[in-house]
Amino acid sequence: MVFSAEFMRLFPGAKGPRFMGKSVEITLPDFGGGTAETLEAIVSWWPVEVGDGLNTGDDLLEIATDKANFVVPCPCAGVLMEKRVNEEDRVRVGDVVAVLKTQES
Amino acid sequence: MVLKPPTSKTDPVATASRKPLPPWLRLAWPQPGAVDRVRDLLASLSLNTVCRSAQCPNQGECWSRGTATFMILGNICSRNCAFCGVDTGVPTPPEADEPGRIAEAAHLLELRHAVVTSVTRDDLPDGGAAHFAEVIRALRAGCPQISIEVLTPDFGGQRDRVARVAEARPDVFAHNVETIPRLHRLLRDPRASYTRSLEVLRMARELLPETCHVKSGLMAGCGETESEVMDTLADLYAAGCDAVTIGQYLKPRGGRAEVMDYVTPEQFAQYAKKARELGFSFVMAGPLVRSSYHAETLMHHACECTITHAGNNISLPPANLA
Repeated sequence: MVFSAEFMRLFPGAKGPRFMGKSVEITLPDFGGGTAETLEAIVSWWPVEVGDGLNTGDDLLEIATDKANFVVPCPCAGVLMEKRVNEEDRVRVGDVVAVLKTQES
Repeated sequence: MVLKPPTSKTDPVATASRKPLPPWLRLAWPQPGAVDRVRDLLASLSLNTVCRSAQCPNQGECWSRGTATFMILGNICSRNCAFCGVDTGVPTPPEADEPGRIAEAAHLLELRHAVVTSVTRDDLPDGGAAHFAEVIRALRAGCPQISIEVLTPDFGGQRDRVARVAEARPDVFAHNVETIPRLHRLLRDPRASYTRSLEVLRMARELLPETCHVKSGLMAGCGETESEVMDTLADLYAAGCDAVTIGQYLKPRGGRAEVMDYVTPEQFAQYAKKARELGFSFVMAGPLVRSSYHAETLMHHACECTITHAGNNISLPPANLA
């Protein structure tokens, strides 16, 4: 969720702390080493939308490997700003999957 | 992490290479950094794990808990079973310092139960039995408090090799029969056989003291019927097994055998109940159960332990049964 200068002029309230945090790139955490080399995961679906507020541990993303479906937990609290992968994209450990805006500065 | 009920309708992998996965095969991906300690420690000691080689879906959970299943004698197997994700080829020579490195890893991970398995080594004169024994001795010396479980190959069914391992006194001797007799030819390497596997278990029972457990494992979802599973459980019990694990077969990347069906948690619970009725003192059955999944519960809670859903929902029995 990126606000244009025009938007900010019209809605100065949007400049509150909720939108003033730090952008954090969320990567797919390591699974133990094997995954990056031997397993590829495919994005099943996004249970959240851009603009949604998330707490640490909330379901962020669902991915599927050959053997199971996995729910990727949100590593920190914040607002989902951007989805960097789409459904049916291949993802590997270390890939940036999302950008979150946290309340920390 | 508590998973919310699945709401996904899509399973993109299904369209490519497999049937859609049922809702009970849904797990939590590890939190950032959760597996790093185990991963780095194993890497620094150049140790292999079956978790990684077999692409185990529970790896994130187990490594986050600080446990792993060591795989000795290299990561290249001399056999080529259709269900297995471990590479086949010309194995590498055994490393004399591997037992010491296993003991060091067990010490640093503060394991209370170490599980050691291996690739099959038909190329070695003793099938790797002496190396197994060395690992057990190194663990006993380095971590006197630890309980030790070995999950061995069939050693070509040779009694002297099984005896070699048994002499080192593992607390649990495990060898997986893997599947029901009818599906052996389809799923296992031609050098393996159902009767030979039962024979190995019988030898282990004879060679080990009463206090040691003999354990086996069975995959479900390969096309077996319930009565075939019951017959196999009866064979295992008759061979001297007192512990058994039953889990869903999941096709690894590069695996040749297809999953025939996804066995329901209710069916696994039924298998567990029947196994208990047969007399097994330890039963672990569930979709995500693997041979060494929560293996320490055998030593520390020896009794029925049914996992009815994804791994996080392991239900240990009441303390008074333990």
